[in-house]
Amino acid sequence: MDFGIQNQTDEQQQANKESSNQNVNEGNKKQSGCCAFLTVEFYTPYFNVTENDVIQRIQGTFLPLKPDFLNLIRGNPDLWGPIWINATLIFMITAIANLRQIDEEKENQSFVISYVPQATALLYIIAFGTPIVLAAVMKFLGVDLSFFQTICLYGYSMSTLLPITILCYFQNELFLWLIIVYGFANSSLFLIVNLKEELDKLQIQKKYIIIGIVVTMQLSLYLFYKLVFFSYVTE
Amino acid sequence: MTDNQQVPFGSGMFQGQAKFVDYAHMNQQEVQVNTLDEPVMDTLLRDINMILYKLSYVIIPRMKETQGRKLRNWDLWGPLLLSLLLAMTLGINSNQSSDTIFGTIFIIMWGGSAVITVNAKLLGGQVSFFQSVCVLGYCVFPINVAAVLITFLQSYLGFFLRLIIVGAAFLWSTFSSLSFMSSMMNEEKKVISVYPIFLFYMFLSWFCIFI
Repeated sequence: MDFGIQNQTDEQQQANKESSNQNVNEGNKKQSGCCAFLTVEFYTPYFNVTENDVIQRIQGTFLPLKPDFLNLIRGNPDLWGPIWINATLIFMITAIANLRQIDEEKENQSFVISYVPQATALLYIIAFGTPIVLAAVMKFLGVDLSFFQTICLYGYSMSTLLPITILCYFQNELFLWLIIVYGFANSSLFLIVNLKEELDKLQIQKKYIIIGIVVTMQLSLYLFYKLVFFSYVTE
Repeated sequence: MTDNQQVPFGSGMFQGQAKFVDYAHMNQQEVQVNTLDEPVMDTLLRDINMILYKLSYVIIPRMKETQGRKLRNWDLWGPLLLSLLLAMTLGINSNQSSDTIFGTIFIIMWGGSAVITVNAKLLGGQVSFFQSVCVLGYCVFPINVAAVLITFLQSYLGFFLRLIIVGAAFLWSTFSSLSFMSSMMNEEKKVISVYPIFLFYMFLSWFCIFI
């Protein structure tokens, strides 16, 4: 509890310092602004969640037909979810893909480490690159959705992959394809239904551009998942 | 060079202008404290003692944070040695691409410690960066022990025995790092500050099962 009180007074002091600094040197504001995204303080407001919030947001992604998510995160988009859900997924992919390939009779087997850099690249590019592209396109087309809200929305949509990765342990090809298709449908629907409210303000063609981007990226993610990580294991 | 400056040892070379440490004019006491001049064994033994002292805190995790006050002197030698040992153990035992494995484990360990510390900072915890990296690095020691054990007893251990050993090592690591880290975290966000540590040690221990 001492830390809590210290935090508040530190923040108050910082706020006072910042306001006095702003009054004193207006000319330096731009200089500190251009590199502000490299400091820790810039990102602190986006980590303002507790575990209950995170659990609630993840639960929201499993019900794709309720367009509630943006209301959940309105005013408080967080970056914790996107970063750590993807980190968990990287671990799960490595663990389960290697577990699948264990064969008790074979002598000379070792684990495939190449999943780690592949999964890292794939997940983080899709989880952070797609929102950047989407946000730029949406800004260009005139949709009013902040950049961090898009990242938050996209990052949490990855949580559909959590149970799917665990289920991918089983060797049955048909089952794997079924759950991959289910995952793709779930997360695409989640994204589209939640963006619908904002997109309805646009014309039809522009709406389909954004929906097209979303669906393409999800499709490539799930196909990559199936074909590279959990491909057919010869018995 | 003027006489009125007591140039601190080691920093003579790093001042703004080029200065030499003037040994002829120093008094006897200063020469004895000069760590640049002592025998190499002394330096090594001092560092090794420091590492062993910190390791004793990892082996016997103590819940009270006050007992760990001497650990505030962070050092990165211990984590470096432990990460090299772990990466080499896991790399040697694989049949293919041992250099990729070495590199990946190394990056995961150091990158992971850095990311966890930044995460704790962003969530409002009162953590000092290098202290936290130091603690996370030292607490990898049980996983190291498990990896070396599994390497030597490879043929005698089935999958489930390995799982048990690695599981025990993982719990030990997590518990001892939590006893240091949890006091530095923000009270209301403790679970989401601590979860990455859990994930980090799980990641490192999982590789040991597959040796």
